[in-house]
Order: sequence, then C-alpha cells, then structure tokens
Amino acid sequence: MTDPRPDDELLALARRGDERAFAALVERYEGVVAATAIGMLGRGDDADDVGQETFIRFHRSLDRFRGEASLKTYLAHIAMNLSLNALRSRRRTLLRFSGGDDAVADALEPGAGPAGETDAAELKRVVQHAVTALSEKHRAVVVLRMFQDFSTRETAQMLGVPEGTVLSRLSRAMQELQTRLAPYVRDGFLPTPMETTR
Amino acid sequence: MTDRHDELHDDALGALLRASAPDRFDAGFSGRVLTRRRAEEQSWAAGLQRQFFRVVPLAAAAALLLASMNWWSARSSHASVIDAALNLPQVSLATAYASSSYYASPDSATQMP
Repeated sequence: MTDPRPDDELLALARRGDERAFAALVERYEGVVAATAIGMLGRGDDADDVGQETFIRFHRSLDRFRGEASLKTYLAHIAMNLSLNALRSRRRTLLRFSGGDDAVADALEPGAGPAGETDAAELKRVVQHAVTALSEKHRAVVVLRMFQDFSTRETAQMLGVPEGTVLSRLSRAMQELQTRLAPYVRDGFLPTPMETTR
Repeated sequence: MTDRHDELHDDALGALLRASAPDRFDAGFSGRVLTRRRAEEQSWAAGLQRQFFRVVPLAAAAALLLASMNWWSARSSHASVIDAALNLPQVSLATAYASSSYYASPDSATQMP
C-alpha cells in the first residue's frame, strides 16, 4: 500500500531519521529512477546498482534538498548522471568484447514479432532493447523525453546541452527507433496499461 | 498524405515508447536500498572505531614517553613520582605568596604580612 502523505511531510520525517518515511519516498519514486537507470543500462545488476546509489545519494543530501527542482527531476538527474558514469565505466571494460546490437537483433527475430505470440512483457523487452541499442546521447534524450515525459527544456538542463540539440537528437533517435520497431508500430501492437508488467 | 502518415507513426511510436518505459526494479528494491544505507552507516561507524583504535596506542605511547622524560629530568628533586611524571611545580606557602604577589597589584602587595 502506498503512503498517502505528501512529499514535504515524508521529506521532513526522513530528515529526522524516520526510515519508514524514506522507504515510502523510495517506493514512490522507484519508477522514475527505474525508467532512467534501466532505460540507459538495460535491466540487470548495473541498473539496480545505479538505482540504489541514486537513493543513497539522495539520502545523504536530504538536508541540502530545498525543493528548487521537483523531487522527480532531482532524482532523475542523479540517476542519469550515475547511469552515464556507469556506461563510461562499462564501455571501458566490457563493450569492446561484445557485439553491441546482438541483443536487439535477437529480440527482433521474427519469432518474437507481432505475428507470433508476443505478449506485452515481451514487447516491452523488445522496445527497451531497441532503446538500449541507441547511442548514449540519443538514448538519454529518449529516456528523459519519451519514457519520463520531461519537457525539452528540462531534458536540456539535465543533460547540459542546448534545447536545439535535444530536439535534433530526439528526431534522429525516433527515426532510428521507427526503423527498428516498424513491425510493432505498423501493426498497432501496443500494450495496454493493464497488460504491461515492466 | 505522407506527412500525415509519418505523424501517425510518430504518435504510435511515442505511445509504444511511453507504454514500454521500465517502471520497477526487481522485487524488493526499497529493502535493498535500506539495507545498503544501513551497511554504509555501519561501515562509517566501524571506520571511525578503527581510526580510534589506531590512534589510541600512539597517544598512550607518547604520553608514557613524556611522563618518563619528566620523571627523568626531575629525579634529583624531592618531588613525588606523580608530580615528577606530570611535571608539576612544587608548591609551598612561600611560592604561593610569591605567585600571588606576582599577579597582585603593587598596592595590594605592600599590604601583605
């Protein structure tokens, strides 16, 4: 059951060391952080680690958080920075040994297409893989603009780039996704909210 | 017609992306966050404790060395071992008067017996 108390109240309690209030905030904003971390890194230990670290850093900065930005923006910003750091670290170590797009190619095999018995969870996995296969810069824009519905201005501020850059990156990313996900978009195969799992 | 078609596809793609956004980590995420936070807190406290135990023997050794040096330099006087180790000055009635006259004003010093 979700805690009905407003953010301000939970924040004040968390600052005084109330662990349950902090847990309630974690549960409330898990989705925001998950969309950022999993969107950028793909589902797995790395994303989970970034998610945990995001909330640990948030806890450390509870006294400094004055609410200039919304909590959603604040947490998404931390999660995005940590995800980009994790990607850089991963690129240095692992990416040179892997093929990159293999996972997406596997996910987009005909057997997993709309003609088959693809369920909503499978479709989400395919879409998330397609997003993960985008370049880091394009992916960050898609995650913030499309997954999280942040405005162009907010996205630009979080990524530290001009708004025009956000728009051009988004346009290119959408073109690429349109190509990759054409069968799913063309057939109007959209998961309903009730069907979606992760 | 093509533009309209592309627009519809963009809308459909946008809807597909929004519907596919990850919204949860694996089950038990908040529990993992709290456990990690507690562990971090404990490791901070444990780190502080380790630093304390690292400093204590050094501080004790330094204190012992100073006390020994004090005692050695005062061994010929008639001071007790404690007074010598702590380098306490010997206090007698005469030195007490002398120190009070040292701090007192010249007028009050002349009124002393």
